[in-house]
Amino acid sequence: MRDRVRAAFVNVDVDPDVIEELAQHAESTYDALRADGISEAGAIARIDQLIEGWRKDPSSLRRAARRAAVVVPPSTSRSFMSGAAADAIYGLRLLRSKPGYAAITILTIALGVGAATTLFSVAYGVLLRPLPWANAEGLIRVSETRGGKEGRIAGTMLNSTYLAWADSPQTIASIGAYRETPMTVTGLGDAARVNVSAVTPSMLQMIEVRPDRGRIFTNEEGERGKGRVAILSRGFWEQRFGGQDNAIGQAIVLDGTSYTIVGVMPRAFRFPSAEAQLWVPWYVQPIDGPGGVKSGTIMRVLARLKPGVSEAQATAEGTARAVAAPDAGFLSMALFGAKDPIQVHVVDAKEAAAADVRPAILALLAAAGLLFLTAIANVANMQLARATARHRELTIRAALGAGTARLARQLLIENAIAGVLGSMAGLALTIALHAVLPSVLPAGFPRVDAITIDARVLAFTLVLSFITSVVCGVLPLMHVRRLELAQSLAHAGAGSAGAGRSRVSAVRALIVASQVAVTCVLVIGGVILARSFTAQISADRGYDPRNLLTGTIPFPLSYSVERREQAVMRVLQRLQDRPGLTNVAVGTGLPFVSSGGFAAFSFASPLRGGEKVDVETIRRVVSPGYLEALGIRLRAGRALTSADTEAAPLVTVVNRAFVAKYLDNIPIERAVGLALGNDAVRIPGGRQVTTIVGVVDDIKQDRPDEPPQPEMYISYWQQRGVNFGSQAIVVARTAGDPRQYVETLRTALREEDPAIPLDAVMTMDQRVGNSLSRPRMYAVLFLGFAVFAVVIAGAGLFGVLSQSVSQRARELAVRTALGASRASVISVALKQMGIAMIAGVAIGLAASAVLSNNLSPFIYGVSTRDILSFAIAPIVLLIAGAIACIVPARRVAQTDPVQVLREI
Amino acid sequence: MLERELKRGSAELLILALIEERERHGYDIGKQIEERSDGTISFHITSLYPTLYRLESKGMIEGRWVEKAGQRRRRYYRLTPGGRGTLVRQRSIWQNFAKAINRVAGIKHA
Repeated sequence: MRDRVRAAFVNVDVDPDVIEELAQHAESTYDALRADGISEAGAIARIDQLIEGWRKDPSSLRRAARRAAVVVPPSTSRSFMSGAAADAIYGLRLLRSKPGYAAITILTIALGVGAATTLFSVAYGVLLRPLPWANAEGLIRVSETRGGKEGRIAGTMLNSTYLAWADSPQTIASIGAYRETPMTVTGLGDAARVNVSAVTPSMLQMIEVRPDRGRIFTNEEGERGKGRVAILSRGFWEQRFGGQDNAIGQAIVLDGTSYTIVGVMPRAFRFPSAEAQLWVPWYVQPIDGPGGVKSGTIMRVLARLKPGVSEAQATAEGTARAVAAPDAGFLSMALFGAKDPIQVHVVDAKEAAAADVRPAILALLAAAGLLFLTAIANVANMQLARATARHRELTIRAALGAGTARLARQLLIENAIAGVLGSMAGLALTIALHAVLPSVLPAGFPRVDAITIDARVLAFTLVLSFITSVVCGVLPLMHVRRLELAQSLAHAGAGSAGAGRSRVSAVRALIVASQVAVTCVLVIGGVILARSFTAQISADRGYDPRNLLTGTIPFPLSYSVERREQAVMRVLQRLQDRPGLTNVAVGTGLPFVSSGGFAAFSFASPLRGGEKVDVETIRRVVSPGYLEALGIRLRAGRALTSADTEAAPLVTVVNRAFVAKYLDNIPIERAVGLALGNDAVRIPGGRQVTTIVGVVDDIKQDRPDEPPQPEMYISYWQQRGVNFGSQAIVVARTAGDPRQYVETLRTALREEDPAIPLDAVMTMDQRVGNSLSRPRMYAVLFLGFAVFAVVIAGAGLFGVLSQSVSQRARELAVRTALGASRASVISVALKQMGIAMIAGVAIGLAASAVLSNNLSPFIYGVSTRDILSFAIAPIVLLIAGAIACIVPARRVAQTDPVQVLREI
Repeated sequence: MLERELKRGSAELLILALIEERERHGYDIGKQIEERSDGTISFHITSLYPTLYRLESKGMIEGRWVEKAGQRRRRYYRLTPGGRGTLVRQRSIWQNFAKAINRVAGIKHA
């Protein structure tokens, strides 16, 4: 019999020990059968049946574990490095064996790391990176306030202060000023507008720029009438002069005046912004011009501190110089809205460059940090879940002799692999984002070219990667500490470790709660910013931006005042005949483009018995139809008409703020007909009384939250000889889509003079949209982070619940079998997570109440404690939570208790 | 599927219970199952050894070769502490299961 068995298992992969055991069994069976009186042939037939049965599945006759692949022998090497390498290979193999899990882990880390790294690179580049000029440290931005008020353009100073300080200063080594001034270039193909920067020669010397070709400006070229020279940007030189060396010494015509090209800047030179194409010297005129005319300019100024001088010392000297400077007179009121006291302010130039985006960048950086934490929490949670599921494997390895330290290293290395791969993917994401960043960031966003991926950014990614790996690796170690072989093996199917389970699930509940809290903060922030953005879009700005086409007409400086007037008149006449244009007008002002001019005068107030009232007001010179074209609402009296000519009495339309401030806030109807004295409008050849004929609503120049300013509208036809300055703003209300009429406007101008380009053509809706590009970006980014966080938290919750349900399947099945209703069983499964979620939401709401204050610098029309935003977040989270719960809850509800109990 | 799982579960329980009293060899275990179950549990003798080896690899039982005087060398199986714990738990689960089934379906405990 024994030989029969042995013969049957020749060439079959079965242990000789097993064959021996089976052979003995066959022999005993044979003996028993014979003893029962079965014939020899019959007994042998029964034995052959038995052998055939065993042979059917030889693999079941192996004593070694059949699923050996799950557990590889631990590294036997004593060397740490070779052991770590083995662990790394094992970790990679594990990741590959679960591609779905690996993909989710790596993707989650990648998005978290990518968002945080990108925001860090933006924050570092814009806020911290040194300015890209030689010896940029020690550069300061100087500005002044008068009566605590900044100039019409924030961060500027008056020419009188500048000149007073530039004259042999004590605390600063040098001082320079610049301004951006678009000009028309002619003689190089089509007339075109170029971005010209007027700089004092001292400015270029101070930032120590070395031109690629030629030279920078000499001090002499900064003197009156001597600055007919220009330096080209590298791009402009290549584009317009084909990169030819003979460009130096050639002439270029800007606004009708010839300039000699003296140099070409390096490609990397971007001052004051990346848009600069040309530089010309700036002659800063004194405030007291010839003939007693005050000539004020507000200017952007940089200076370099002398070594060892503090900012406070510079501030003191600057203020003393400003006070001692020639009196600015009414210009101080017109440009600053106040006269005294004068105070000079000194700020680090780098800080000043990004001051207006700093709060937003910091808020977004914080949001990205929170998102990163949520992502990491999720990965940690998944690792914890997997470690629980892998408890058996770890136990066996412990039983095979792997020490706790050994297993800890294994887990850490495994998670480090996921962390490193995820961080690499995150870095790739950052690089991809950097490629699109310049086009995504709003126009005028400061220091965009300083945002790069460098060693610091890489180091930051490395730190994130390290944090990820450690956080994800440490939590699963909780399991290593309680490896009880027998217990674990006995529970093989249940995949849990008894007592350890409640502690692990408590940690997981804590992770879910913190994820929910973070998500709550992000959702509330995102909703507040989104509501602020929509509030700014729909805000009443006092005019109607729809169906409104706008542009500027830059007249050549060579045009005389008369020629300009005639040109404007003829262009308007031509346009008034064109179909589709309901109202066409020109003016000196337009929201987002120019306030239109300032005026300061006095009049004897009829409301105060002739008492003198000092007025500082915005004064716009407009053609009749301007108010109608812009949709500015007339509230009393009449608008300006074509009847208001030189021959007619001087009239003006004022706004409500003017009435409120200078006419004692009388009812606006009563303001109509009041006289503003002889000085409100200056006309050539004599003084005349100006009478108010109408009152309109206030309009917002730039931001919907700016305070209303007094405004006057004067008819262009009564201001002959005063003129528009070098450019007129044209506005056209259209019957349909305003973009269809761009060519109509261009044609009308070309017919007048082919040398006049139509500049800055845009619909008013586009101007409003552009002005909101920052709020829009902040809202989109924040909401994007919030959505991502909701998905992450939802996935985390789903994972925890699914696993908790499968771990507690037995308990839940027994409850069901013992008569518990499905609903009560489901509620048992969801209770812990429900508590975690509610706690998370509560913490999130409380944290938001504190944190949302940081949003106040850049929100409009919505409170940082906005009830709706605070209500939406919990609702969104509860919906996401409910979705995450549906599948595990259904699983509980549909569980067949018999099946669950049988599987134990 | 259900039948197969049930059989496997019950076979393991039976084997653990049999060697709880004393250590036994494979032939003995097979004989005991046949006798005790009185034919109600159909246990195919070809699955006996796979079941034993599976229990052994799970660490619930352990086998060793024993030579007794006047007998052939045989492989005897005995319960490990882990197997003992499992047996205790499985017994109570089966009792609960039987009770639960009884409650749900009204089947009398055999």
